[in-house]
Amino acid sequence: MTLSYLIRRLGAVLLVLVIVTFAVFAVTMILPGNAAVMILGEYGSPDQVAALERQLGLDRPWYTQYFAWVAGMLQGDLGTSLRLGMPVSKVVGDALWNSAVLAVTALVGVTIIAIPLGILAAVRRGTASDLGIGVLAYVGTAMPEFVTATVLLVLLAGPATGLFPAGGYVAPWESMSGYWAHVALPAITLGLVMTAHISRQVRSEMSDVLSSDYIRAARLKGLHERRVIRRHALPNSMAPAVAVISLDVGYLLGGIIVVEEIFAWPGLGRTLIYALENRDLPVIQAVTLVLAMVYALTNLISDIVIALLDPRVRYD
Amino acid sequence: MSETNNQTAAGSAGTTPPILEVRDYSLTYGGPEQGVKVLDDINLTIRRGETLGLVGESGSGKSSLAWAIMRYLPALATESDGAILLSGENLRSKSQYQMLDIRGRRIAMVFQDPSMSLNPTLRLGEQLSEVLIRHRGLSLQQAWKEGEAALARTGITRPAEMMKRYPHEASGGEKQRVVIATALACSPELIIFDEPTTALDVITARQILQLFETLREETDVSALYISHDLGLVSRIAPRVAVIHRGVIVEQGQCAEVFRDPREAYTRRLLAALPRPDRWLGVDQPATGAAPLLETQALNVRYGGPSLLDRITGSAKQAVDGAIDVALGVRPGELLGVVGESGSGKSTVAKVLSGLQDFRGTVRFDGRGFVRRRDFDRRYRRAVQVIFQHPDSSLNPRQTIGQILSRPLKLYGLVPAAQRPAKVAELLEKVLLPADYARRYPHQLSGGEKQRVAIARAFAAQPRLVICDEITSSLDVSVQASIARLMVGLQAETGTACIFITHDLNLVRQLAHRIAVMQHGRLVDLFDTPDAEAPERHPYTRALLEAVTPPPVVAEAPVDDLEGTGP
Repeated sequence: MTLSYLIRRLGAVLLVLVIVTFAVFAVTMILPGNAAVMILGEYGSPDQVAALERQLGLDRPWYTQYFAWVAGMLQGDLGTSLRLGMPVSKVVGDALWNSAVLAVTALVGVTIIAIPLGILAAVRRGTASDLGIGVLAYVGTAMPEFVTATVLLVLLAGPATGLFPAGGYVAPWESMSGYWAHVALPAITLGLVMTAHISRQVRSEMSDVLSSDYIRAARLKGLHERRVIRRHALPNSMAPAVAVISLDVGYLLGGIIVVEEIFAWPGLGRTLIYALENRDLPVIQAVTLVLAMVYALTNLISDIVIALLDPRVRYD
Repeated sequence: MSETNNQTAAGSAGTTPPILEVRDYSLTYGGPEQGVKVLDDINLTIRRGETLGLVGESGSGKSSLAWAIMRYLPALATESDGAILLSGENLRSKSQYQMLDIRGRRIAMVFQDPSMSLNPTLRLGEQLSEVLIRHRGLSLQQAWKEGEAALARTGITRPAEMMKRYPHEASGGEKQRVVIATALACSPELIIFDEPTTALDVITARQILQLFETLREETDVSALYISHDLGLVSRIAPRVAVIHRGVIVEQGQCAEVFRDPREAYTRRLLAALPRPDRWLGVDQPATGAAPLLETQALNVRYGGPSLLDRITGSAKQAVDGAIDVALGVRPGELLGVVGESGSGKSTVAKVLSGLQDFRGTVRFDGRGFVRRRDFDRRYRRAVQVIFQHPDSSLNPRQTIGQILSRPLKLYGLVPAAQRPAKVAELLEKVLLPADYARRYPHQLSGGEKQRVAIARAFAAQPRLVICDEITSSLDVSVQASIARLMVGLQAETGTACIFITHDLNLVRQLAHRIAVMQHGRLVDLFDTPDAEAPERHPYTRALLEAVTPPPVVAEAPVDDLEGTGP
């Protein structure tokens, strides 16, 4: 991998983040009612509001406010939650950790299950296992996560089975098994749609690769099918799969908001909804920014992985 | 069939044992009832150290025969009785598992396009040494070392370095050498070459052929050499089999087959071969006339290092597509432009068709153009382009009638009511039935599609037609008829033509003058009769030497060549 490639990708990520800070800041400026109005509530007199605005620095021009906000962020100071009275970094930090556990569990599960499923479907193209995987994938893609979540709740958390808790959170230091039991259902909900999507993608990439001339050439060299698949076909079909997975992280970040709400999981999604309902501007800004950063960094990582898998990319 | 078989057996190396024998072999795709018979009663023998050329056009079944010998057939293939013997062992009785030990070790294959048959994500060394590990049980280190030696034998100058490269870091010729080294690595009894030079430049192709001849002498390997090019096969194979619609129509010593072809199909193929001594083109237009189109100091540069590349010291270089190209075409003239891929001939075509930014001046019919955006509708109508692949240049969702009406409507040439009649007239001009107007491109053969593309270009009543490799994707017998059609239309309309091709034999039959391009520069420009004059540029001479001269045929048949078929 050339240094230039890496710098270019990093530069692109930084640019995206700068644009996102502008967008986030602009949106919170446009929203009716500023922090002073929020704090004082609807009964605050105009004088009180003006005084508090001065105190909070809200009467300064927007660019001064923006740079103060960015400067604070760079030092780890995201402000104070208007409703919870706690530092935003603490509120968002805890939520980020919880969401990350959920997302990473879902993502790891998906990768372990979806990629082999897709490969299996491609290698056994046209057989019953291909058809079965295909049907499951279509059903999985077609169901929105609130439906999947409801079905899972009825099947696995209902009074009949009661295998998993219906929602909520147990701290890992209280009960490790309880913690993971609470992670399971939301993670499965998030993972199902992605599994369907990624296995379809891997199947189609793998089928393309398997019908290519170089795979035929490898077979006609007398190589065992195992080597043809693992050494010749896999690296070529994995690069596009990685690209799809990283794009799916975007979906995952959207899905997490719905899923955390359904399962009452105290993550970023729930925090965001709470903040939106309560007009807690610093929290809204921080959560949006964190989601954007996660997405940008995931794409950076996937670009690097793709470059490692495919030598041609490194020189572009 | 048995008669030809006996004759060839007697004619070849006498008592040396046969390496490959195909006996009474037939192959059908689809069910035995309604399937398509792709190979019909094939009989052929290749003895030790012998090369048999198998000549046929696309769809003749020549590649299916290669797959049948490799026992690599699709599930829907049905085979009749008949045998495929490798050194006396019937391959048809081998299981797929047993074939794994035969493929790559006893029969190896070299494919048409090395950039497709090599895995883009694996180092060339791994793709070569894996065969040695698989079939000769060598360790990775041993295989790597052996691989370097094998590469050295194929004329790679720095084999150790080549082993570490990826396919995209090697040239086409180098890649094909790696493929050949891989095929020879386990000293196979038989190598099947499936059009190994078709995807390569003329000069590279010539080098690969020479390598093939050297290695054949060194190793005594038997070869089945599949090609559509009779001229090429006559050069490297003493014996040839001509295959047409799954049937071997003629088989024998090359010299005899070419001197006295017995089958009409073979005669047709031979007659279709472009030979520089037979002039097809229109009469030379007046040489004193002012040029219709002229380029002055035409320059095109692709890519280049970005600011970041320069800061990080990345070695990205700009590529010059065209450097100071000065060309002129006279009214009614056919100017041939030849050169290898990447020589800049297509870049010039792109500039002249308004698809590429450039620096310099293009003068057409007294008007000057210095930027791509200067090309107006008047210019675009007067200068039409015909592309290499009619499959991608004809809209698959439009009927032929719609495709041909488009320029009539676009340039307001014919009122709507008269368009169907004009379309019929255009189809007639390119020797297609008028009812083709209702068909879609996929219902036509490759040659017919190219005729439609030609008709579309001439529909605009152009002053100049740019033909960018218009015969390259077609079979030999169709190529000749397309070339004749172009010339016929040129004679009728007086349109000038820039004919871009890599086929020197063909262009010498058609062009009044020939321009030779190399690395973006125009290196030579001469009147066609002076092609072999001593003052030619060294590169022109190299190109001419690399072209296989067509085999000498007793008499030139002049029967029509319009057998493109449905």
